[in-house]
Amino acid sequence: MNEIQNIVDKIIAEKGKDSDKVIPILQAIQGKFNYLPEEALKRVCDTTEITESQITGISTFYSQFRHHPVGKHIVKVCVGTACHVKGAKQVYDSFKRELKITEGDTDAEKLFTVEEVACLGCCTIAPVVQIDDVTYGHVETGKVAEIIEDFKNLAPSEEKQVRELTEDGISQGEIRIGLGSCCIASGSSGVKEELERTLADNKIKVDVKQVGCVGVCNQVPMLEIHKDGEEPAFYTKIKANEVSEIIKNHFRSENWMSRFKNRFYNYAENFTFSDVPVSSNRYNSTEKDTPIAEFLKGQVNIATEYRGEIKPSDFEEYKSKSGFEAFAKCLKELSPDEIIAQVEESGLKGRGGAGFPSFIKWNLVKNAQADEKYIICNGDEGDPGAFMDRMLLESYPFRVIEGILIAAYAVGASEGRLYIRAEYPLAVTRIKEGLEICKKEGLIGENILGSDFSFDLKVFEGAGAFVCGEETALIASIEGKRGIPELRPPYPAEKGLWEKPTLINNTETLSLVPFIIRNGAESFKKIGTENSKGTKVFALAGKINRGGLIEVPMGITIRQIVEEIGGGIANGKKFKAVQIGGPSGGCIPAEMADTTIDFDSLKEVGAMMGSGGLIVLDESDCMVDIAHYFLSFTQEESCGRCTFCRIGTRRMLEILEKIKSGNGRLSDLDLLEQLAINTQKGSICGLGKTAPNPVLSTLKYFRHEYEAHIKGECPAGKCENLIRYEINDDCTGCTKCAQRCPVDAIQAKPYELHTVDNELCIKCDICKQICPVDAVEIK
Amino acid sequence: MPTIKIDNQTITVAEGTSILNAARSAGIHIPSMCYMEGCSNHPTCMVCMVKNNANQQMIPSCATKVVDGMDLASEDTEVKEARKEAIELLMSDHVGDCEAPCRVACPAYMDIPKMNRFIANNQFDKALKIVKEEIALPGILGYVCSAPCEKVCRRKDVDQPVSICLLKRFSEEETQNYLPEKKKASGKKVAIVGGGASGLSAAYHLLLNGHDCELFEKYEGVGGMLLASVLNGDLPTEVMVREVAVLDQLGLVTNCNVEVSKEKFESLKQEYDAVILANGTDGEIFGLEAIKTSLKVDSGTYTTSDPKVFACGSVIRTQKMAVKAIAMGKEAAWSVDAYLNNGKAKATERIFNSRFGTLRKEELTEYLKESLEGDRVDAKSPNGYTKEEAIAEAKRCMHCDCRKLDNCRLRDCAEEYKIDRRRFALGERNSVLKYINHDSVIYEPEKCIKCGLCIEIAERHGEKTGLTNIGRGFTVKVSVPFNQQLSEALTVAGKECAEVCPTGALSLRSN
Repeated sequence: MNEIQNIVDKIIAEKGKDSDKVIPILQAIQGKFNYLPEEALKRVCDTTEITESQITGISTFYSQFRHHPVGKHIVKVCVGTACHVKGAKQVYDSFKRELKITEGDTDAEKLFTVEEVACLGCCTIAPVVQIDDVTYGHVETGKVAEIIEDFKNLAPSEEKQVRELTEDGISQGEIRIGLGSCCIASGSSGVKEELERTLADNKIKVDVKQVGCVGVCNQVPMLEIHKDGEEPAFYTKIKANEVSEIIKNHFRSENWMSRFKNRFYNYAENFTFSDVPVSSNRYNSTEKDTPIAEFLKGQVNIATEYRGEIKPSDFEEYKSKSGFEAFAKCLKELSPDEIIAQVEESGLKGRGGAGFPSFIKWNLVKNAQADEKYIICNGDEGDPGAFMDRMLLESYPFRVIEGILIAAYAVGASEGRLYIRAEYPLAVTRIKEGLEICKKEGLIGENILGSDFSFDLKVFEGAGAFVCGEETALIASIEGKRGIPELRPPYPAEKGLWEKPTLINNTETLSLVPFIIRNGAESFKKIGTENSKGTKVFALAGKINRGGLIEVPMGITIRQIVEEIGGGIANGKKFKAVQIGGPSGGCIPAEMADTTIDFDSLKEVGAMMGSGGLIVLDESDCMVDIAHYFLSFTQEESCGRCTFCRIGTRRMLEILEKIKSGNGRLSDLDLLEQLAINTQKGSICGLGKTAPNPVLSTLKYFRHEYEAHIKGECPAGKCENLIRYEINDDCTGCTKCAQRCPVDAIQAKPYELHTVDNELCIKCDICKQICPVDAVEIK
Repeated sequence: MPTIKIDNQTITVAEGTSILNAARSAGIHIPSMCYMEGCSNHPTCMVCMVKNNANQQMIPSCATKVVDGMDLASEDTEVKEARKEAIELLMSDHVGDCEAPCRVACPAYMDIPKMNRFIANNQFDKALKIVKEEIALPGILGYVCSAPCEKVCRRKDVDQPVSICLLKRFSEEETQNYLPEKKKASGKKVAIVGGGASGLSAAYHLLLNGHDCELFEKYEGVGGMLLASVLNGDLPTEVMVREVAVLDQLGLVTNCNVEVSKEKFESLKQEYDAVILANGTDGEIFGLEAIKTSLKVDSGTYTTSDPKVFACGSVIRTQKMAVKAIAMGKEAAWSVDAYLNNGKAKATERIFNSRFGTLRKEELTEYLKESLEGDRVDAKSPNGYTKEEAIAEAKRCMHCDCRKLDNCRLRDCAEEYKIDRRRFALGERNSVLKYINHDSVIYEPEKCIKCGLCIEIAERHGEKTGLTNIGRGFTVKVSVPFNQQLSEALTVAGKECAEVCPTGALSLRSN
């Protein structure tokens, strides 16, 4: 028996031989080989219940799986919405160009494989590129060569040094550092290591606390310093080499000088001209008009309660802040009916997109007659430009678990699954840790807290299919099938996982439940509007000054979010629209910014709550391009079942391409609209039904932009075929652009006015980014 | 038992019945493609949608069970528009021809590929039968036809076109005394003025349809313009005589040397149930309505201003192509037949035809898989092909027509909804592939509508390899796992899969 077979056999021994184990088995195989060798797949068929047809169907359905070997390093270029509007496509092209990849996605030396990924969830530092574990933010096309060089020069990552702070003495205070995915992407873990090293080297006794996502993603890495007798201080956008300086400002050590001298003074020489690190900003929490205070003002934290205060995997801390009180109350004091009555009274609606009243689902499952019932927490957040679920799972794993436990008890479920995207490794890790702890603490298992209630909860990792956010497709996926939605009815509440009654709720929905039970329905109900109660978490990104994760009361206006929380449009540009709800949602023009955020009013204006992506667009964003962007996403993610979704979205995309390239006709707009309407009608699941929304809403509010394209003009200067790069008289003849132009479309004539040969130009935008005097214009 | 309404018709059916079956039980026709009783994979095609009047939502009728009190619309404009669009979308992703280009190019719409297959299979009489369904005088055309079919034959892009004209002549000469069956006598009689190609063709088809026919020819013998070919030696006299004799055997009464005057014409109109004017360029117009100097004739029904009088051939426009004259004669005859039976003339309508145009280089290779290699077979004797030569030549045919011509649900739907097949002709089409490595089944993935029935049937038969969907969304393909051969995928289920496949994607090799 050869090695591949050995490995496969070991995996099967661990995962099991039933046909529903196919996805975990494939994930494990890919974990070993970085792709799926055919021999391994055949071995699986030979030794398990899994058939050739099944394994082929599954492994080609989910985009996580690769069928060919890849380069040593994987370059993941995020093409999420926020990255898209900031030039992700050019970044992707630039990587392929720099690595000289013409065919396929791997370079000749098999060193790098370049992939597009739907969303890395780091929208606030867009455009983002991840090479293996290293994340680069604010990537400009002109910097790609440097990034590749930088990555090659990185020493193989050392094992993380964890230094114990065992020095005697009283803690001088507490330093909080956020370690959500975007914080880490922005360099938080480097900052944390440096912080620990500095503290240890200098024997300073301070508690360093890792907290979950702080939400202020636009300001991370961020340190919060809490010291007795002082107002907390925030340091934002810190670099690792600035840590010592900050610590010096706040804490003293007996042996500071002796221990710190070498490190600090050598280092401080680099800061002769300023005693405050250049890139970081310091704010005190009492200051009213700081970006952070503005950002946090107007938010209400329920799903994100204790944001930036609690350590994600600290069970005791969660408990100390009333954690699991609600669940205990349910077990001891409340009947399932009373719990559901509370949920009904609170007005809670599903946060996954459609806004279906939660209590109805709960009641259906509770009243269903079956020997077994299931609960599924839907954390398959696949929208480009949305990372709410990821943040909740990463930062508040216990709150999510508590919500599931309460729901499970209320509906009588004996088993549950947390379905989490495989692209969210940190979320998977934190939840798994949380589940272990809960099992130890007797919160999961037999006779929980001495009651009759027994419940088991497991994680299921998704494999890369947006459509699996649809509940019937999600169930199919857990059952080891292709993620093809089923026609409802029957609803999962009657016939769900393994044909048993199943409650499926979104992560955010379940995260709100403990608050409702603990504080009573009234406390939730008083927030929000007539028909939309409570709060909604949004991932705020795009062309605004302050992006990040926000939790706002229902009923807040778009204007308040953009102007007050987001601090308005960045770079003095004009506010054009917000895109709400991702690929299922729509674009709301700036003139309608007083629209309130609630399920009904968003639907009325042709958008939808969706799962909560909120991308702000400015005058430089082309609405045809935005429609094209979202449609290309849904088109790619369609399962392929219904004719309208499979072929219709493709044809719509082709019409949009035609328009974008300047070849459209006015009659194409009617064809597009008609097809969009029929696609809404003729698809059986939410993906197909809502896929035309970005097209219809832009056609509704920005038809003039479509018409402009048909006349051969892209008003926003975005659509490649309709724009030219030109250099104006401000040009100093510095040749920087000419040197960096990848196709030699600019001739290097020093001290002469440069010109762009638009025949050669590939619109990579490097010249515009690199020009020191902003002389490059798009016409 | 639940009671529902479809288009205001009340239907009561058993609990658990699908809307589609409920409609069928009441005689309401709803189109459908992906549905098969007992299979679970529908709905995919969405052409069976109906509208729920309660909430205006469209629902696939094949997969939705009736609920008491449902009020549905099936024949409503919105529903029909949506169905039509679904079919148009499916067609936009369907790379395949219904009829072969040669047949489409033939003015007489002769089923050339079928004739070729019968010849290749040594069934010459069957070949002639196919030919004579459309062409009354194949022997004659075998000598004088300008063969527009050969100009579009795809084989020309490989070496030379298939020698279709010669094969047709062969089929006639090999089976000289074929006499098709006539329909029951109708008791109606038709006068045909002019015995040229067009008039003879009209007579043939009228006779087959059971009508009595009498021909009035100005000259001494029939043939009209064809006689020029006899005179210059292109067309042997015996062929002419033989094919006209077949008409006589079918009961044609021929009156030669009869010049039809205005008075005679009026009396023919009195005497006969219909009159066809096929008297060529010098034909009089007998007081019928005219446009400028020519007779006014409806191009579809061949009717003149007198509902009883029809016209075809050079009367309308000088016909240089004999085959065109023959085609017109046939279509006029069919129109007269409709007029005699139902009192209303009828244009010959060709049913929906999917076409994708010129073959790409790599596609030629696929098409060649089904044909014999080598240059065009030349007849060694001036008398035409020998049996062996004809068989060899017929085997060069690349089978451009679809094997499911007559039982393709996609074609039926396209025809029923009169779709515009070019409406969504955007983007680049896929290249045709043919999997022929199976004893009884041929697979052409580009004709697939992704209904998944074959996958389910293979699974039900316990096929070890079976079929599977590869990929997802627009690029999803039904294929064999691990790139194995179709013969490994379908060891027992092949025939059933081919029969169930709603399009020509999976078809029986024997078709």
